Amino acid sequence: MMENPLPSLHVSTEKCIGCVHCLTSCPTKAIRIKDGKARIIGELCIDCGECIRFCPHDAIEARTTSFSDLSSFKYKVAIPATVLYGQFDNVTLPSEILFALRRVGFDYVYELSTICELNNAAIEKYLNDHHKPRPLIASTCPVVVRLIQRRYPSLCELIAPIEPPREIAAKILRTTLPRVLKMSPAEIGIIHITPCPAKMVSINRPATMDRSYLSGAISIRDIYGPILQALRQSQEDTIMCHLFPEILFSGMGLGTALSGGETRGLKNHRTVAVSGVRDTIRVLDQVESGLLKDVDLLECMVCPDGCVGGPLAVENRFLAKSRILRLVSLMGERTVINQADMNLLYHEDFLSFHHPVMPVGTPPLDADRARAIQKARKRNKLFKQLPHKDCGACGAPDCRALAEDVVRSTANLADCPFIKKEDP
Amino acid sequence: MKEDASFQQDFLIKGGDFTGAGKVSCEIKNLLKELGLSSQVVRRVAIAAYEAEMNVIMYAWEGQVDLLITPQKIRIIVEDRGPGIENVDLAMREGYSTATEEMRELGFGAGMGLPNIKKNSDDFRIISDPDRGTRLEITILTNGQRPE
Repeated sequence: MMENPLPSLHVSTEKCIGCVHCLTSCPTKAIRIKDGKARIIGELCIDCGECIRFCPHDAIEARTTSFSDLSSFKYKVAIPATVLYGQFDNVTLPSEILFALRRVGFDYVYELSTICELNNAAIEKYLNDHHKPRPLIASTCPVVVRLIQRRYPSLCELIAPIEPPREIAAKILRTTLPRVLKMSPAEIGIIHITPCPAKMVSINRPATMDRSYLSGAISIRDIYGPILQALRQSQEDTIMCHLFPEILFSGMGLGTALSGGETRGLKNHRTVAVSGVRDTIRVLDQVESGLLKDVDLLECMVCPDGCVGGPLAVENRFLAKSRILRLVSLMGERTVINQADMNLLYHEDFLSFHHPVMPVGTPPLDADRARAIQKARKRNKLFKQLPHKDCGACGAPDCRALAEDVVRSTANLADCPFIKKEDP
Repeated sequence: MKEDASFQQDFLIKGGDFTGAGKVSCEIKNLLKELGLSSQVVRRVAIAAYEAEMNVIMYAWEGQVDLLITPQKIRIIVEDRGPGIENVDLAMREGYSTATEEMRELGFGAGMGLPNIKKNSDDFRIISDPDRGTRLEITILTNGQRPE
């Protein structure tokens, strides 16, 4: 298709043994096994990372920023996702984790929960100002945006045009830091720390702006060890954090790591929070059929329980969720954002998309409509001949996908081991 | 050759099968996406097919959907065995419904969805025989623009 759609996810040919776990777990049927190795079809991949979860050989890798890439920046800023606060034991305060990040090598750490609250307030204002159309869909999960662009193009106009917290935070830093530090923007690296394989794609090819304000994304998996080490080394930091809690946290914003976190702050609107990629697909199908029109904001997170269930997190999501819920209850509904500040930024369009989300067409069965119809008919005919066992032995995720690959001329019917037997 | 460029498929819908609600219309919708039809057309078909499917599930015993796609148009015939509609003119009236406000907000009972189907179709016909069933014929042009 168009420009080369390099996905974040790729297969390590050394580790891949060509089994069918990723094949059947992929919600968009974007994987095929060819010559004994898994291959990801870039046009279909939405970077959800389900395959990472299901691969028993750890063969699916996400392209994220590595530590060595950081050395190219003179000044390094980390913006950790609030999920990070749930990755360490219950006695480790968020401020200690942020301190540890500085020890790991960042010059500055920017706390995101306040910006989550800012984003939330902006969405609330947008809902108040625009009564139609409904339901609006939050843009925070980049996989949901990619899914809508590819599978639900008619829903692109429903995406609430407010940038997600990570981009707003980076924009704030980009606006202030070069001036304060007297450095050129290229010298400043703004790095998101994330449990999500899709953030890198949203940075390299953003859907709503020409260029992301972020320079890269490091996975929690990669940075967990160094943070843990830094936490162990620095007793004084811990004491400082306990005595001088210099960093501001938003009780409201902390919860956005969890499913329902974005809708929690919207007290005067009807909201629905969905998590998990299959349930997200099911609900988006309903929206496309004209349902959920009475809902103001639909929050979809493709990871189970929200970002806390991201495939590049370390701690199991139940523990992480419990810790974040504890922090949320400690902070209560503490808000830190000044409504007047938010209004100012909102009216300056500082928080909104540069341009709307545009559909990204997936390739039809054939560019010519009459031929596409013929191919659909042939596909259904072939599908009837197949055993409907969906075993994956042919290299396609199920019999229907094989039939489709055959009419697209990317596979042969003889790839099916059951067909071969009957017809030696 | 002209005959060749058409696609036909039948689907069955069971009355009262709320767990399967939306399955048939979703399958039709996904098929249209594979054919490269515009998202406007896909959305109109999705809405019309969903409403028609829900009518069968909510009010009839069983129904059959006959889908025909040609390069020019999509035709969906939904024929059900059920109680039928006593006064079709009344049921076609926008907003006419025996359902409560609450049900309408859930997306159900907005005048049995018939006005909504008509709104999204380029041609819409309905015949109902009380005590026997209802037959809908929905046509949407593949190059059609959204009405209104």
